[in-house]
Amino acid sequence: MKQLKYIITIAFAGLLLASCHKLDIAPLNLIQDKDVFANENGVTAYMATIYKALPIEDFYYRNEGGNGGNGFNRGWEQFYHPGALCGELVGPYGSTYDGAGGFGYWPYADIRTVNYLLENLPKNAANFPKEKIDQWLGEAHFCRAYFYFALVKRYGGIPIIRNVQNYPGQTLEELQVHRDKELDVWKFVASDLDSAYLLMPEKSVRARANRYVAAALKSRAMLYAGTIAKYGAANFVAGDARDQGYVGIPASEAAGFFKQAWDAAKLLEGHYSLYAKKLDDKEQNYVDVFLDQDSPENILVRDYSLTSNTAHSWDATMTCRYMTADGLSRAYPTLEFVERFAGQLPVVNTDGTPRRFNNTAELMQGVEPRLLATVYFPGASLRGLQFDTQRGIYEHFTGTAAAELGLNPPNGPFRHLSGTTNALWPDDNGKRIIGFTGISTNDDDRTRTGFYVRKYVDYKREQSQCGLYMSTQSWIDMRYAEVLLNRAEAAFEMGNTTDAVTVINQIRDRAGATPATAAITIDTIRNERCKELAFEKQYWWDLRRWRIADQVLDNTRFHALMPYYLYDEKKYIFLREIEPFQRSYTFEKKYYYEPLPGGELGKNPNLYPNNPNF
Amino acid sequence: MHKIIKAWLIGCGVIALASCTKTDNMPGPNAGFQGRLLDVTNSKNNFVTETNGVQVKLEELSWSATPTPQYIPSKPDGSFEDTKLFGGHYRVTPTAGAFWPVDPVELDINGLTTHDFELMPYLKITNFSHRLSGDTLIMSLNLVAPKTEGLPTIIDLQPFVNNTKFVGAGANISQYTTPTDQSKKNIISINSNWSDAIAQTTYVVKVPDLIHGRTFYARVGVRVNDSYKQFNYSEIVEIQVP
Repeated sequence: MKQLKYIITIAFAGLLLASCHKLDIAPLNLIQDKDVFANENGVTAYMATIYKALPIEDFYYRNEGGNGGNGFNRGWEQFYHPGALCGELVGPYGSTYDGAGGFGYWPYADIRTVNYLLENLPKNAANFPKEKIDQWLGEAHFCRAYFYFALVKRYGGIPIIRNVQNYPGQTLEELQVHRDKELDVWKFVASDLDSAYLLMPEKSVRARANRYVAAALKSRAMLYAGTIAKYGAANFVAGDARDQGYVGIPASEAAGFFKQAWDAAKLLEGHYSLYAKKLDDKEQNYVDVFLDQDSPENILVRDYSLTSNTAHSWDATMTCRYMTADGLSRAYPTLEFVERFAGQLPVVNTDGTPRRFNNTAELMQGVEPRLLATVYFPGASLRGLQFDTQRGIYEHFTGTAAAELGLNPPNGPFRHLSGTTNALWPDDNGKRIIGFTGISTNDDDRTRTGFYVRKYVDYKREQSQCGLYMSTQSWIDMRYAEVLLNRAEAAFEMGNTTDAVTVINQIRDRAGATPATAAITIDTIRNERCKELAFEKQYWWDLRRWRIADQVLDNTRFHALMPYYLYDEKKYIFLREIEPFQRSYTFEKKYYYEPLPGGELGKNPNLYPNNPNF
Repeated sequence: MHKIIKAWLIGCGVIALASCTKTDNMPGPNAGFQGRLLDVTNSKNNFVTETNGVQVKLEELSWSATPTPQYIPSKPDGSFEDTKLFGGHYRVTPTAGAFWPVDPVELDINGLTTHDFELMPYLKITNFSHRLSGDTLIMSLNLVAPKTEGLPTIIDLQPFVNNTKFVGAGANISQYTTPTDQSKKNIISINSNWSDAIAQTTYVVKVPDLIHGRTFYARVGVRVNDSYKQFNYSEIVEIQVP
């Protein structure tokens, strides 16, 4: 009995003592600030999260959200290319509307991650040398500018969040922030990039920012701001958001932005250079610009690998299955793009009849090397196979090309087309009606325009290695040629034609093009940009910021170059036809700004007014 | 045993079904809004437009201070109607058409509410006449600007041809507006500000290659470079190609 009393007393005492302890230990499954900001590995890993979220419009990027999703890190269908919304390519998009409204990009969670570093890293400054702290803070400013640039080019003015917001620490009223004016957002991007430039060192490891990467982004962003100020003042959609400055920049600000763009671009001079390792073969040299990992032209890249499960599908989706191991292609360069280089191709004789060619490859004679390196023409070769592109066979052909393209083509009854590569003409033992690489009457997994994208296609890769998620060439987000084009455009807008010509001619020389003269216009410089940066997902934004998208895409249909075989003459001809899907593309002016995401407007009524006409 | 299980399952089913019933005592969309879009230069007539050529923007202020707008598209005769609206206080603005911007009107919509709007077109097509020369339709017209000060740049004149009487930029045979044969230009580009020269010009719009033995409906549209780039139209004419 006594023993029982002891036991009860001890047990009671035990409970009493234990009861006052609170379970207050940091959760072990969450990484704490002290782990992240204590050593270099921690901060590097933190930075990797930010870089991974950076809105780089790479191989995977699409301009629309699909089923309510995001435009970034999409699947293998890399032919959903923004260029196919606006006539650089024709592709799977039915019209410009498929992607003009964007996908509600709203990366404030990522911006918070950056702001958190900017607030907390200085508190742990004792753990690191000052250069390291500066470098990381510089990178953080660069990344934040990158996010805001991606926002402002879509929506115009959006809230600028400089500090970490806390909920429920802050009230709803504090968290429901107002939009900032578009002008102020562009200025904020500029100031963040200036901070980044001052803080960061000259060199960085691959795929990470240094001071010149910040300057390169600044040249791009300020050029956007300058053109939006200048051209958006004349071509705009009226509405409350514009009246209150949330969209639109006063034209008087344009000159200042152009100067900033030029100054930033100039900073890179001498630190990066145009790729010129094989200048004796300018076509091959230009192809390798996009494939040589050690190009001195690369400013910011994103890498992919099989081991990290990030490999992309560019090779499998830009050329047809005839040349690849899996997947299919659906986006093809338009004839309008090809004609940017030297006008209409010489496919019609002076008397109006189609010029006869012995083989389709003859058309490539005299074409600018850069164009040949950017698109595969009919007759070109890849992986030992030829682009045998052929629309059909004419038994015989008389008269002019124009007559044949009219409503009552005189040779129509003698034309044979096909939806399958198996079809022959004459029926037995004849010649194939269409080539293995197109052009079919049925579907679009072979070219619709006669051309294929060549840029970024890895010609050294074995065909068996050209499957889905197997390509590892890097995406070049910024390269020196773009910085030169930014500089040329800014120079010309400021009236400095001499500098513009000098810079344009550096690019033209490397491209194997004829040099420009002092007689250039702004259209020459813009066209040069469209040629040099083709398929690099810039054209969409360029058309928007020049405010010419509604004129270029005005119920517009794009053209194809159709090779035909003339059976009796044993020759080839090319006809300039509307591409077979006959799609028409129209850009409504309201899409110069995307609508603010509906979900965010629902959460925060202070984001109103929405952009004009939404 | 089976009976018990069955009874139990039926019981469960009844409960499951009944559990989802909620009494919805909110009023349904039982109000309507209709009216005419009137041409202020000739207030007896409706504004000349096409299906969806003008949109009547509705903002339900009694629901929210920042409502998501809804739109009633115009009918081809220049009227509009929507009979599935929620009753309430609305801000209403005719928009997205080829007319000078108008101020919004606030009104209550209950039952079938009627309200007409007066719109001033950017341009009017006058002296419109047409004839057929072989298989080519030739339409001639003059342009009149009811208000010239601040008029945006005039872009172009476009013919629209369709095989039904619903014809305009949103419904046409595209071949007759933009022929595939590049040498044929059916569209007349103007791309200049309003001037006396434009006012004095008689424009002739031609549509060649109409198919013999068919009936077509045609009209001409003119547009200015405002926020919407919509068309001011001529009347619709019926063409029988012999």
